[in-house]
Amino acid sequence: MSDEEHHFESKADAGASKTYPQQAGTIRKNGYIVIKGRPCKVVEVSTSKTGKHGHAKCHFVAIDIFTAKKLEDIVPSSHNCDVPHVNRTDYQLIDISEDGFVSLLTENGNTKDDLKLPTDESLLSQIKAGFEEGKDLVVSVMSAMGEEQICGLKDIGPK
Amino acid sequence: MVKRREEEWQRYYAAWPLKRPVMAKVVSDYFVRLHSHNFAWIHSLHYGVLRAHLYFRPTAPAHSTHHSAVSHLSLAVPSSATTMYQAGYHQNTAPPDMAQLQATMRSIELACSSIQMHANPAAAEATILSLNQSPQPYQACQFILENSELANARFLAAGAIRDAAIREWSFLETDYKKSLIRFCWLFIMKHAGSHEGYVQAKVASVAAQLLKRGWLDFTAADKEAIFLEVKQAVTGSQIVDVQYMGINFLESLVSEFSPSTSTAMGLPREFHEQCRTSLELDYIKEFYCWAQDAALNVSHRIIGSDSAIPEAKVCSAALRLMLQILNWDFKGKKNAVESSKRGLDVYCGDIKPESNFLGRSECILVQPGSLWRDVLISSGQVGWILNLYGALRQKFSCEGYWLDCPLAVSARKLIVQFCSITGTIFPSDGGYMQRQSLVQLLSGIIQWIEPPNAVLKAIECGRSESELLDGCRALMSMAAVSTPLVFDQLLKSLRPYGTLTLLSVLMSEVIKCLMENLSEEETWSWVARDILLDTWTALLTLDSSGHNDLLPPEGISAAANLFAIIVESELKAASASAFSDDNEYDYLHASVSAMDERLSSYALIARVASGATIPFLTTLFSERITRLHQGRGTTDPTETLEELYSLLLIAGHVLADEGQGEIPLVPKDIQAQFTDVVDADKHPVVILSGSIIRFAEQSLDPEMRTSFFSPRLMEAVIWFLARWSSTYLMPPEENKGNKSGENNNDAQVRLEHSKNALLSFFGEYNQGKLVLDIIIRISLTTLVSYPGEKDLQGLTCYQLLHGLVRRKNVISHLVSLDSWRDLANVFANERGLFSLNAAHQRSLAETLALSASGMKTSEASNQYIKSLTNHMTANLAELSCKNDLKHIAQQPDILLLVSCLLERLRGVASASEPRTQKAIYEMGFTVMNPILIFIEAYKHESVVVYLLLKFVVDWVDGQIIYLEARETAAAVDFCTRLLQLYSSHNIGKISVSLSNSLLSEADTERYKDLRALLQLLANLCSKDLVDFASESLEAYGVSISQVVFMGLHIVTPLITLELLKYPKLCHSYFSLLSHMLEIYPEVVAQLNVEAFGHIAETLDFGLHHQDGEVVDLCLRALKALASYHYKEKGMGKVGLGSHATISKDPGGKVQEGVLSRFLCSLLQLLLFEDYSTDLVSSAADALFPLILCEQNVYQNLVNELIERQTNQMFRLRLTNALQSLTNSNNLSTTLDRVNFQRFRKNLHSFLIEVRGFLRTL
Repeated sequence: MSDEEHHFESKADAGASKTYPQQAGTIRKNGYIVIKGRPCKVVEVSTSKTGKHGHAKCHFVAIDIFTAKKLEDIVPSSHNCDVPHVNRTDYQLIDISEDGFVSLLTENGNTKDDLKLPTDESLLSQIKAGFEEGKDLVVSVMSAMGEEQICGLKDIGPK
Repeated sequence: MVKRREEEWQRYYAAWPLKRPVMAKVVSDYFVRLHSHNFAWIHSLHYGVLRAHLYFRPTAPAHSTHHSAVSHLSLAVPSSATTMYQAGYHQNTAPPDMAQLQATMRSIELACSSIQMHANPAAAEATILSLNQSPQPYQACQFILENSELANARFLAAGAIRDAAIREWSFLETDYKKSLIRFCWLFIMKHAGSHEGYVQAKVASVAAQLLKRGWLDFTAADKEAIFLEVKQAVTGSQIVDVQYMGINFLESLVSEFSPSTSTAMGLPREFHEQCRTSLELDYIKEFYCWAQDAALNVSHRIIGSDSAIPEAKVCSAALRLMLQILNWDFKGKKNAVESSKRGLDVYCGDIKPESNFLGRSECILVQPGSLWRDVLISSGQVGWILNLYGALRQKFSCEGYWLDCPLAVSARKLIVQFCSITGTIFPSDGGYMQRQSLVQLLSGIIQWIEPPNAVLKAIECGRSESELLDGCRALMSMAAVSTPLVFDQLLKSLRPYGTLTLLSVLMSEVIKCLMENLSEEETWSWVARDILLDTWTALLTLDSSGHNDLLPPEGISAAANLFAIIVESELKAASASAFSDDNEYDYLHASVSAMDERLSSYALIARVASGATIPFLTTLFSERITRLHQGRGTTDPTETLEELYSLLLIAGHVLADEGQGEIPLVPKDIQAQFTDVVDADKHPVVILSGSIIRFAEQSLDPEMRTSFFSPRLMEAVIWFLARWSSTYLMPPEENKGNKSGENNNDAQVRLEHSKNALLSFFGEYNQGKLVLDIIIRISLTTLVSYPGEKDLQGLTCYQLLHGLVRRKNVISHLVSLDSWRDLANVFANERGLFSLNAAHQRSLAETLALSASGMKTSEASNQYIKSLTNHMTANLAELSCKNDLKHIAQQPDILLLVSCLLERLRGVASASEPRTQKAIYEMGFTVMNPILIFIEAYKHESVVVYLLLKFVVDWVDGQIIYLEARETAAAVDFCTRLLQLYSSHNIGKISVSLSNSLLSEADTERYKDLRALLQLLANLCSKDLVDFASESLEAYGVSISQVVFMGLHIVTPLITLELLKYPKLCHSYFSLLSHMLEIYPEVVAQLNVEAFGHIAETLDFGLHHQDGEVVDLCLRALKALASYHYKEKGMGKVGLGSHATISKDPGGKVQEGVLSRFLCSLLQLLLFEDYSTDLVSSAADALFPLILCEQNVYQNLVNELIERQTNQMFRLRLTNALQSLTNSNNLSTTLDRVNFQRFRKNLHSFLIEVRGFLRTL
């Protein structure tokens, strides 16, 4: 697993404004990192040395924030890694369609209709029930490197 | 599978009113025995074949008559627990019902077999448990013991006797108790030869436990009668098995009476203590003599016979018992001076080498006191045991005896134990008799270890190493009881050289062995080395206890030779491992923590011979450096680097001690050795230190750095500088000796002189400032020029720099150095150090802020802090005002900037000191608004939220007690807004993620946040305890207690049951709650119904928590609440008011008052549930005021309890016990200390009296 290769690869498909370079040594557990072109959240960092009197390298174990796949990478700790710009936005939930798509109210008054609800059955029924009771639900949407997904829900109380 | 079992358990509990721990204990006890004693069982489990019926069992003729009965009845066997319950129930007096006994036996046997085959284990467990829990199951158990064919059924029956008797002890008749013990004793005597030893051992231990339970009730005559039989069995009997069983029984008895190995009986600690004292005073010496007689009697037969004879078993058991008794923790009339010569060490002012000697080595001093002199010393037992072992050694070639046969092992152990006998047992003859005894022991032991090279060679060729190791242990024991001089003299009467020389040669040989087998896993040589090292430590730590009791010259040169071998082996190991990429060998962490211990023992050896060893280290060091420079560019330096790494660690250990938070002095041995050195710059310590510092300085040159100073070598350099500087760099003036005054003799004057020369060389007015400057520049280099080397930078920040700013006379020079100003400037104003690890940045900020107190005036200090933080706070404020904050906040670069700045501010905040408090307060005040804005902007970025909270926690912690009322009001207001904001973002929030580990991470993050919030509240609380403000808070309308209660009210809904499973969170939550209730009960009374309800529910939950500490906290809170209410009522006030009275909730249901509710649940807990006996005292403290508050409710409960009791005898006992609970000991109705104490006593005796039958019936 050569490190230069890794950098070349991730720059190629990541797009400049979507990621930022950051020194590997400063990336902490619970921070974000791009591994194999995917935006991930770091769940474990460990350091080791290349030979006894060599330099430190970081071993990252991270989880793809969209697909939940586990990915790993080893980078010399003085080199740069790509860190994705992970954005989260809150929208009010207006409607849930039959096929699981939701309709969300954006800040400027438009609607956003291209997101699906999470697939977890119990959660789904909970949301639907809450929605039907007329509760005000707020949905957090996470976006990074051109992908989007619902990542959280919050009940801001009945009207 | 697991789930299904869980369900079964639950069904079982529903059906049977018992608690899990009891069952778990019974069953686990059972399985432990199973595993340790009965391999065949495991075997049969494995193959699913029950072989129990094949077991050999010695049968008494009488048993055969039952066999037919068993088969007849087998069809009618009840297997359900309920039937068992009836079957097991017999009053003592009732005539035995054969059929029922048979039935019980059958069902227990069936249960055993089905557990074995794993067929319906739940039901089988229930059956077994029901036997343990049924009232008076003695007849049934005895019947099983005598008649069952199944060893395991007998094992369980014995256990059931024990459980039932301990439980019902208080109402069994004395004769019956005695008869139970007698039954057990006769049983083991009768079946002494049984092959199922574990059943016999269990019955013996049951007998021992019952005897102990009744120890204080039985008369001396009762005990005499029992022990007479035991004595006859042990010493008088000619039957090997009977003797063996008798010794076995004594073994169980002694271990039962020794507090560390005793079994819990649900009695107060005093009981165990009384039993211990009684046994020590009256019996233990007799037991020892019996064992010794038994061993003596058989030993001549063993010596006389050519092959193994059965008596060997008795002999080794007797030796084991003797060893066990010598291990007894003798408390008897000990002379205070003699009690422990090490005890003095602990309290003397010297800083001891890292490890507490007694903690590490396994050597226990045996101090039985003068009463034992006749048995152990004058009787010549030492000679006898040495002879016995000597004779055994001749027989090792014969069949039946070998080096590790049980008899040889226990004899050797006993000999080693004899070596550590000390104290008043020896007459005060200046240690003559003790020396004689040690010489005698040494004359025997020397054969095990001498000549060292031949012994080690034999072991390498396959001989067992246990004799050598025991020999080493014996040396260690001797070292522990004598001074180095005495120790050295011991061997002089036998050999032309001293014991120290032997020790040195032996250890050198062991280390050579280790060197030859570096890669192999020859663990024995490691073990031998560690024991011998402990021996040195024992000798040399004693030495440093104040007197300059130097070793004899011969001993010093022995130590120097040994150290040379040690260093050689370490260097060899280092260069051999230089290229191994194995992480396990990566021993920075290991050497700085775990291996520290070993290196500091080496250092002890080096220091006694420092005249030779320190110049030796200097030579080795310069050799390596020369080699490095010569080979530059041509050869790979890695091996040399690794050797230098080891040398730095060794030199650091030799020259200086670890301070552990204190300022370590120059080690005494080093001080004492260079009295003839006049010129400071020729002092060997100065030369060694100087050459290392000059080497370290070369790392400032970029070219040298890239070629030699690898991160790993740099770690050792930084570690050395940190350790060295805390002893030698600018030592405080008072460390230096008094210049004149006392009538010192010549030697002392020279000693003082050489010591002062050494200390002032690196002092403030000599080379100190120069060296400090070098150190700071090296530190800056590691921070800037080793990007990403986290460990190295961690060492620099935490150990080196942090250690320097802790010292007053260093910081005043530090702040005047240009290099320090450079460091501060780079940190505060440049971006370069943002690439440091966040925690390191925090520590660096703290260090820089701490150095502010080195300034001359407090204005200058505050100005320094301002210039350090201005840039950072301005940066944050500016960022928070940006219009597009919402969009840019989550950009990685902004995220990194904000987190770094917060970490740094947090570091500065935790450096709050009175002198810099003003500036740090202002720093926090400036960022209050930005923080609230960031909490909003980063509500999804839990990492940042946590940083924000932690900053506030630390800032409040450092500031709150100094703040003036106006400032406090601002801070409190800010904290409240922070809490509200946090709660509004997080309440009702659900995270969605496909990944389980991310979800659990989210949980952990929430846990950490809440813990921080609780800490914040706790910090606010401290304002009410310590307050330096000049005006009172009330003037500003701030009440800390109200704010904290409001905070709790905000935080509590965020704490879910799931989160309370984190023990730390749980503890801090409950301790805050109980603190609040204890200190401010009056505020609780004013809470609204909802808030109060919350608190009451929480307490109720906590009361049933598994964690004893949490329950304890809740009990304290209850005590406070009830006491408050009672006292207020007494004064005619409302107390808890409506919370305490019966009310109706909105739904119309009648709500009991909170106190009566707690009274009920507390009584329920005390009488029927499981809890640790440690809790009884605090439960008493809570129960007493509750009873006083709610006397009517209590009376009703008591009546109900008595009504429920159907058995007349128990009913009477219960009534009486309840009566004396509230009336005995002159208990009155005032809540004062005396009454609380009385009630505690009452409750203890009440529970002992009634819990036994209340819980079973």
